[in-house]
Amino acid sequence: MNRDTFLQQVRHAVLRGNAFQVATRDLPPSTGYVGVAGDYMDRMAREVAEVGGIPHRCEHLTAAREVLAELLRKHKPKSALSWEHPLLDELGLADVLNQAGITLLSYSSLASLPVQERRARILAADIGITSADYAIAETGTLAVCARPGQERVASLLPPVYISVIRRDQVSPDLFDLFERLDAAGLDRLPSNVTLITGPSKTGDIELYLTTGVHGPGTWHVILID
Amino acid sequence: MTTAYAKHEHHEFLAAANEALHNANLQLALSQLGDTLGQRNKAAFAALECSAELRERARAIKNATLASLDEHLATLADAVERRGGQVHFAADAEDACRIVTQIAREENVRRVVKSKSMTTEEIHLNPALEKAGIEVVETDLGEYIIQLAQQRPSHLVAPAIHMRIKEIAETLSRAAGHPLPEEPTELTAFARRALREKFATADMGITGANFAVAETGTIVVVSNEGNARLTTTLPRVHVAIVGMEKVIPKLAHLPVFLKILARAATGQKLSVYTSIISGPRRGGELDGPEKFHLVLLDNGRSRILGSPLRESLFCIRCGACLNACPVYRNIGGHAYGGVYAGPIGAVLTPLYDGLVANEHLPHASSLCGACQAACPVKIQIPQMLIQLREALHETPERHGRLERLAYRFWAASLRSGRRYRIGSWLASRTLGLAFRQQRWLKTLPGKLAGWTDERDFPAPAPRRFRDWWKKEGQA
Ligand code: SF4
Repeated sequence: MNRDTFLQQVRHAVLRGNAFQVATRDLPPSTGYVGVAGDYMDRMAREVAEVGGIPHRCEHLTAAREVLAELLRKHKPKSALSWEHPLLDELGLADVLNQAGITLLSYSSLASLPVQERRARILAADIGITSADYAIAETGTLAVCARPGQERVASLLPPVYISVIRRDQVSPDLFDLFERLDAAGLDRLPSNVTLITGPSKTGDIELYLTTGVHGPGTWHVILID
Repeated sequence: MTTAYAKHEHHEFLAAANEALHNANLQLALSQLGDTLGQRNKAAFAALECSAELRERARAIKNATLASLDEHLATLADAVERRGGQVHFAADAEDACRIVTQIAREENVRRVVKSKSMTTEEIHLNPALEKAGIEVVETDLGEYIIQLAQQRPSHLVAPAIHMRIKEIAETLSRAAGHPLPEEPTELTAFARRALREKFATADMGITGANFAVAETGTIVVVSNEGNARLTTTLPRVHVAIVGMEKVIPKLAHLPVFLKILARAATGQKLSVYTSIISGPRRGGELDGPEKFHLVLLDNGRSRILGSPLRESLFCIRCGACLNACPVYRNIGGHAYGGVYAGPIGAVLTPLYDGLVANEHLPHASSLCGACQAACPVKIQIPQMLIQLREALHETPERHGRLERLAYRFWAASLRSGRRYRIGSWLASRTLGLAFRQQRWLKTLPGKLAGWTDERDFPAPAPRRFRDWWKKEGQA
């Protein structure tokens, strides 16, 4: 059906349907804003644990580097699929991986590969490492935006996923996130913004909770003060 | 174990419901539902400050959006095109299937991966694509199991809720070609491996959408498993099939709905993954689909929009009313016969599919109101079921002369105080005295036996309340 006929039909229905509108109360747009009492980072860590993630609080970058190295020793990945991000640079991610003998798969090393080869490497990665664009303390959520260097697959394909975030990225409430996206300019909204709240989960077999069905089953969050 | 009504739509409701009630496995599977999902919903809303106001606000946004839906759809279509997507308008199911099949042909698609979508169930997309020689793989774990077992989903968010683990293990073992243990973790791990291969080689991903944001041309897909993310990330083409009532005007409206959706569905504050997708991948990006198509679907929605049951278009398909419903919790989803089950299904199926053909559905409710109380957008489902019953009543061929006579008699005796007094006196003097020992009638004569076949009928009191009150109540 063409657009005009379709919309015309909807228009007629709208006019008929307006007789059947329901009574509603006028409530302000901030209705349902909860926010966080107390420290954002405390709450963030609590919520991450609540949804099945593993939070790691670190006072500074050096401590975070230690934690990261420890996690890599524990999970023993051969290759890591990673974002290119200022915070990961500050952390010295490339060095940490290098010292541990882990292959780094990031934008620069992947972009030049033929598509088939690139896909094979991405699918075989053992661990994913990203930062985030925003985080929400109320729910223990990360918001990751797609852009070159911030590939969607890093937080999705590998069985183990490590996120590194810093205090200034955290907002109290889900409403704040959308305000921030709005403020950045709606026409600049990325092609994909994904909110991540926990490891991949399913309850499809007798409502029994299982993790890692499609996405990562293990989710570490390194929180830097 | 699997009966015909689990596979096919359109069947005799009473027979299917009866069969469901006597299916021990189904009863076991359903017994957990109210205690888990139902309870979690209540606890989640209780824990959220101002949740009542938030639900009211969501309702107000839906109501206002429908009042100029055509404009919002135009805005949405323009915005999607601005972001490099293509928009298609489908008047009905056939139209939608034709559009999607054509896109698949033009793109030389051999394998499609799908993430859970009731809208594609509604238009019966899978058989249409398969007829065109395209392999379709459902990737939500529950839907994958259902597809392998050749059944229909029985719940909006937990499609395989009617199956017990034994049957699931058998189904997945057949797909694996070797026996798998009856153990959720192992079964899930098998599905992950099997489906990864499909994802890696699929040419096209098909999703529905939980919401579509008009101003930014964005579709929002929510999942816990991550299959919706894979479906919209790995294949080179993404097609989203979206019922036109899913549109919300502004991005700022989205948190209102995200906050209530997961709480209502599973008691989570947010689902694990919320994908907010605005067009295909952009220059320089290494992943994401190269092409994005949005198919906007009417399929009877404009008819509903212009009717007294307009409010049913507020539904965000969370499944809360199913978990809360005493009827659903006893008969499960398949017995309803349509794509949508439970209280909201009892409203939607007659609307989409014809009232007379589904005459039992508006009656498949005790009107207890649990659905409306659980509904995150407070849809007045009981009210709508009553309206459908009224509409049925006005369909002349629906009831016999005897029934009409009985109702007329009933109405007449209630309308006058004197007639009511005489009637109740007569009842207490006759049936009341005769059954003063038993208090319950085990069988009623003729057509009335329909009642006593399933339960006893309370006998009238041997002494009316008004008589007791006159003598002793005022002492
Ligand atoms: S009617 Fe309400 S409770 Fe039922 S599925 Fe729709 S939104 Fe959820």
